[in-house]
Amino acid sequence: MALFQLDNIQKTFKHGTTSEQILQSIDLELTKGALTALTGASGSGKSTLLTIAAGLQETTEGTIRFEDKTLTAISAEQVREVRAKHFGFVFQQAHLVPFLTVKEQLELMLDTAELKWSKEKRRSRIKETLESVGMWSHRDSQPENLSGGEKQRVAIARSIIHEPKMLFADEPTASLDSKRSAEVMSLIQGLSKELDITVLMVTHDEDVLQYADRTVEMKDGKII
Amino acid sequence: MKMAWKEMMKYKMRYIILGSIIFLISLLTLSISGLANGLSQDNAALIKNMPEGTFYMEESAEESYNFSSLSDSQINEVKNIDDNATFFSIQMGEFNDSEEQKHSLAYVSASDDQHFPAVEQGEIILDQSFAEEGLAEGDTIGNELTDEDLTVAGFVEQEKFSHSPVGFISSDDYSSMYDTDTFQLAFSTESDAAVDELSAFSNDEFLNTIPSYSAEQLSLNMIIAFLYVISGMLFAIFFYMINVQKLGTFGILKAVGVKTITLFKMMWAQMFIITVISLLLASGISELFNIFAPSGMPFHLTLDMILYSSAAFIAIGFVGATLSGIQIKKVEPMQAINQGGA
Ligand SMILES: Nc1ncnc2c1ncn2[C@@H]1O[C@H](COP(=O)(O)OP(=O)(O)OP(=O)(O)O)[C@@H](O)[C@H]1O
Ligand SMILES: [Mg+2]
Repeated sequence: MALFQLDNIQKTFKHGTTSEQILQSIDLELTKGALTALTGASGSGKSTLLTIAAGLQETTEGTIRFEDKTLTAISAEQVREVRAKHFGFVFQQAHLVPFLTVKEQLELMLDTAELKWSKEKRRSRIKETLESVGMWSHRDSQPENLSGGEKQRVAIARSIIHEPKMLFADEPTASLDSKRSAEVMSLIQGLSKELDITVLMVTHDEDVLQYADRTVEMKDGKII
Repeated sequence: MKMAWKEMMKYKMRYIILGSIIFLISLLTLSISGLANGLSQDNAALIKNMPEGTFYMEESAEESYNFSSLSDSQINEVKNIDDNATFFSIQMGEFNDSEEQKHSLAYVSASDDQHFPAVEQGEIILDQSFAEEGLAEGDTIGNELTDEDLTVAGFVEQEKFSHSPVGFISSDDYSSMYDTDTFQLAFSTESDAAVDELSAFSNDEFLNTIPSYSAEQLSLNMIIAFLYVISGMLFAIFFYMINVQKLGTFGILKAVGVKTITLFKMMWAQMFIITVISLLLASGISELFNIFAPSGMPFHLTLDMILYSSAAFIAIGFVGATLSGIQIKKVEPMQAINQGGA
C-alpha cells in the first residue's frame, strides 16, 4: 500500500458568477521513501495540487489518504495535527519567522510537533540538521542577515527537523543559482534516503529532475 | 512565552510606543481616581469615616438634611427600632479667632460620642486643618450666634463636610446657637427598618444628597470611564496594526501546524507584559505623588484603588487585544504562502 494516496482530486475556483476547474480528477500514489517530482507548464495546477495534498487548502472533490487516515474526512484540527507532526514544507520563498534566530526556527518546529525528545536529543538533532545544510555556523543569525540561498537551506532544515514522514516542496530551488540549486537538491535527496522521508516536489527545472525517483507531468489540471 | 518575548525584543520600538501610551493613560486614570477619591474625602470625610448604617431624615425635607428637624415622636420611633441610634445635626457656619479673623466651618453636634468625638459644653474640637492655620488647643473662638466663647479642646484628623472643615460642639451649645432643641438626622448601625415620615438612606445614598458630591464624583467618574474605553481601543488598534504586519508570519506558522491558540497566547503574553510594566510604573509614580502631594491638594489614592484599576486595565487590554486578534483566526496559510517574505 502507498503511504500517501490522492484519489479523484478536483479543484474548482469560483470568481463571482464564473467558476474555473483547475484540477480535473487527479489520482496519485506516493511510495514510502520515494522522491516524486511534479512538473508541467506554468498554470497547469502543480502548486494547487501540492497544497491540497499537504492539507493547506481544501479540495472540491476527492479523497486524500495518509497512512491509515483519510485527511478529507477528519476535522481541520486533526489535519493540523498531522501537518505539525508528520509533514514538512518547503515553499518557493523560505518564509522564515523574521524574529527568530536560525536555531529558534528549528526549536519552534520541535515544539509544534510536540515531540517528547530529551534536551540532549533536541540539541544534537538541531546541530546535525544545521550541519547537514551547512548552516550550523549561522545558528544564531537573524533571517534578515542571511542570503536567499542560506534562508532556503534553513527552510529545508526546518522542514525536516521533526523527522516528518512526508515532505512537500514547491520549487525549493527557484530562487537559487544552479550551483546552490544542485546543493539543495542533493541535500533533499540525501535526507529523504537517510530518514526515509517521502517527498513530493514541484519543479520547473530540468536539472532537478535527475534527483527524482519518479517524475509526474501535469497539463491543464491533469496528470499526463 | 519565548516567541512573544523574542518578537518584542526584535521590534522594541513599536512595543515601547504602545507601552508608553498605556503608561500615560494609566497614570492619568490613577491620578484622576486619586483626585476623585481625594475630593470625596475633602467633601464628606465626616460621613465616609462613619461605619455602614442607615441615615434617617424627615421625608418633608426632600433629601436636604438642613431642612430636616426630627420631632420628639420621630426620635422615639427611631429609638424603638434601635435604642443605640445616634442623633446629630450639621450646620455650615463660621467663627472668629482671637485675632478677629473669620473662618468658615461645619458645626456638628451629636447626641452621643459613638461616632463623633466627645465634647464638653463650652468647648469645640476642630479638624486638623485649623491647627495648620495657626489655631492651638486652649484658644478661644467666638461667633455671632452666641455671646459665649468656645475653647478649642483638641483637633481630629480629616473631618470634612461639604468641603469645609468640621468643628464638633456639644448639643447644648448647638441648641443655643441655632435655637433648636432637636436634631436633623438619625443614624443607626443596627437597623434599616422604615420609620413613618422619615426617609432612610444608606451611606452612599446619603453622600449623594450632598449637592456638590454627586456632581463632582459623576463628572470625574465619567472621565475615568472614558479613559478605560480609550485604553481598550488603543490596545485593539495597536495590536491590530502590529498583527496586520505579522499576518504573513502567522499564515506560515499556521501552515507548519502551529495552533491558532498559540498565536493568541503570544499576543496575550505581549499585552500582559506591556500592561504590567506600564502599570507598575504608573502606580509607582502616582503612589509617590500620593505621598508627596501638597497637603492642601485633595489627592488620595489607596492600594485597593490601584489594584482595582490595574485589574481593569489588564481585563480591558485582554479584550482589546483579543478583538483585534480575530484576524489571526481568519488568516489562511495559502495567503501567506503566495506572498513574498523573509
Ligand atoms: N486561490 C485561487 N483563486 C483562483 N484561482 C487560482 C487560485 N490559486 C490558483 N489559481 C489558478 O489556478 C491555476 C493553477 O495555478 P497553480 O499555482 O497551481 O499553477 P502552477 O502549475 O503552480 O504554476 P507555476 O508553475 O506558475 O507556479 C492558475 O490559473 C491560477 O490562476
Ligand atoms: Mg506554482
